[in-house]
Amino acid sequence: MTANFKDLEKWSPELNICIRCGYCYELCPLYKAHPWESDTPRAKMLLVYGLLTGDLEPSQHVAEKISECFFCKNCENNCSANVPVTDIIKEAKAALAEAGYEVDRTASTVDEDLCCRCYTCVSVCKAEAVEPDEDGQPVVDPVECEGCGVCAASCPSGAISQKDGFGVSREELRQLLLDTLRKGAQVE
Amino acid sequence: MTPGNHPIFRKVIPMKEGLVQDLQEIVGEDAVRDDPADLYVYGSDSSVHCALPWAIVRPGTVEEVQEILRYANSNGIPVVTRGAGSGMSGQAVPIQGGIILDMKRLNKILEISPENTYVRVQAGVVDDDLNRALKPYGFMYPPAPASSRIATIGGEIANNASGTRSVKYGATRDCVLGMKVVMADGSLVNLGSTTRVEASGYQVDRLMVGSEGTLGVIVEATMKIVPIPKYRCMGVACFNELEEAGDTISEIIASGTQPSVLELMDNVAITAVNTAIDLGLPDVEALLFIEADGNVKEAVDYEIERMKEIAEKYNAFGIDISYDAEKRTKLFKGRKKLFASLSRYKEGYSCTSLADDMAVPYSRMAEMARKIHDIADRNDVIMTAYGHCGSGCVHTKILMDPTRKEQWEGARNAVREIYEYVRSVGGTTSAEHGIGLSKAPAWKKEKQDSLEIIGAIKKALDPNNILNPGKLQDAPDDWLTATDLRYKAE
Repeated sequence: MTANFKDLEKWSPELNICIRCGYCYELCPLYKAHPWESDTPRAKMLLVYGLLTGDLEPSQHVAEKISECFFCKNCENNCSANVPVTDIIKEAKAALAEAGYEVDRTASTVDEDLCCRCYTCVSVCKAEAVEPDEDGQPVVDPVECEGCGVCAASCPSGAISQKDGFGVSREELRQLLLDTLRKGAQVE
Repeated sequence: MTPGNHPIFRKVIPMKEGLVQDLQEIVGEDAVRDDPADLYVYGSDSSVHCALPWAIVRPGTVEEVQEILRYANSNGIPVVTRGAGSGMSGQAVPIQGGIILDMKRLNKILEISPENTYVRVQAGVVDDDLNRALKPYGFMYPPAPASSRIATIGGEIANNASGTRSVKYGATRDCVLGMKVVMADGSLVNLGSTTRVEASGYQVDRLMVGSEGTLGVIVEATMKIVPIPKYRCMGVACFNELEEAGDTISEIIASGTQPSVLELMDNVAITAVNTAIDLGLPDVEALLFIEADGNVKEAVDYEIERMKEIAEKYNAFGIDISYDAEKRTKLFKGRKKLFASLSRYKEGYSCTSLADDMAVPYSRMAEMARKIHDIADRNDVIMTAYGHCGSGCVHTKILMDPTRKEQWEGARNAVREIYEYVRSVGGTTSAEHGIGLSKAPAWKKEKQDSLEIIGAIKKALDPNNILNPGKLQDAPDDWLTATDLRYKAE
């Protein structure tokens, strides 16, 4: 086992408890955007298990598959075995980040050129993932960020965004809205 | 890391050079993956088994499935078809490597025909999605397996799934009218018909039901649907003796009563769902869920009353009867979550899908339920008795500490003893979950007289043995060493 993942060992019993019934992915927004088995919450649990047991070598792809999550907890609420899926994901993200892998795919990012430093993002972030750095520039911690998008929605200067590819970026939401309106107009 | 050198790869099988590029030419770059992370997760289903594929392909059209099969057949590459990966016996675990054919992109409902009481769907349609689409028409697709929230119709056909309502409406087999299947050589065949009855020679469509991906790839199915009944009445009966619940089941069926649900839960199962999801079920030795449905309330009342009388004859108490839909939904939710809840029965234990769905004659139901606990005690594991006992199906699971090797030895003994008993009373290895790897040793003993016929059928339809090889009759004789386990035991 890679030394970096020792902290995850405490989750071994919970990972064994997952019976992989798949109820976790029925309402998973990440899976809706990326409908591969490797994008399901149960797969994330298996990948963490693979890192723990040494069956799986860590890689950037593994880091992405584990860390891409919107922390909506639909998986946990559907899990009859009560596996703390998002707690495990959050700690695995931290371990992978420490090992040098990028874990920011579903995290928000701040455009410094547009940011007016009003700190609305800091005050609205439930995960306490946005903090000013030493120069006063708000910075998103990719490990703590839960990708809820509240900071992006509340930023008055449009400086915060989420990445394309998960159905939550400003452009993707705009397109979704347009498609919905067009569909509605056709029905009329 | 290359898949063939992966530490959990039991047999090093040479992967065809250029496989991924060849597949990408057929289905496009984005529909093929061979990253270790993807191979690792597609190497498991809901069973205890684990073995890695070489590549995963997600076809988007029937023509692509045909092209993939032609390619695989020409090159002798194993093809393992996968729906939701909710199988409990290792059916979708690629024991000889090869291609995983993920069917979930083929997920269109093609036709809903209430006047002809059928629906035509692609194989990747999810059971609950189908029922949601049928509801506005006043129809339902009835088998209702516990995995219906994610299970695909193709997977249900391949495993002949059944569920809580199968006691009245039958298993998947009873709902299949026809299907389109891509054969091993890539040819597309129409099997069955769209009519309720068909008497035209060999029922090849039925042969595909329960074939677990070893004879062809089901791409489309025409399935029987039924009107949603106007009235549903559910009751819960408590018992202090498990055997009395078993005798009640046997007599209800023999009496000619028509339950639409007849489910058993023993104390292990009751404790598990109460612990995991706080369902508040009575803490008794056994519970029976009874339900009757129909369009005439008096008829439904009559059926429920008869079942209640029989239960009382066997000392049932606290019988709670209700037409309340909300209450029924809550109980069904608990029942559907039972499998996972069992993992919370005892600290440090996990729920494993072993010896999980045998069927015995009704008169043996009570004895079977008790036998399960005796065998578990002897082998230092915990087992539970529950299931769609009205259809003759007894579910159990083995609860154990999966990190201890001696627990797996106990599980192996318990599985052997269970199936020896099941065979001795004329029962069958699998009622609805399928054979895959973990039940294959027992199934081969049960079907020893017909293995030659089964082998000949397989050879005729899949001469190059590319379709889910190493399963059913060709599966290893010891499930415990057939693949690596997805748990690490020391």
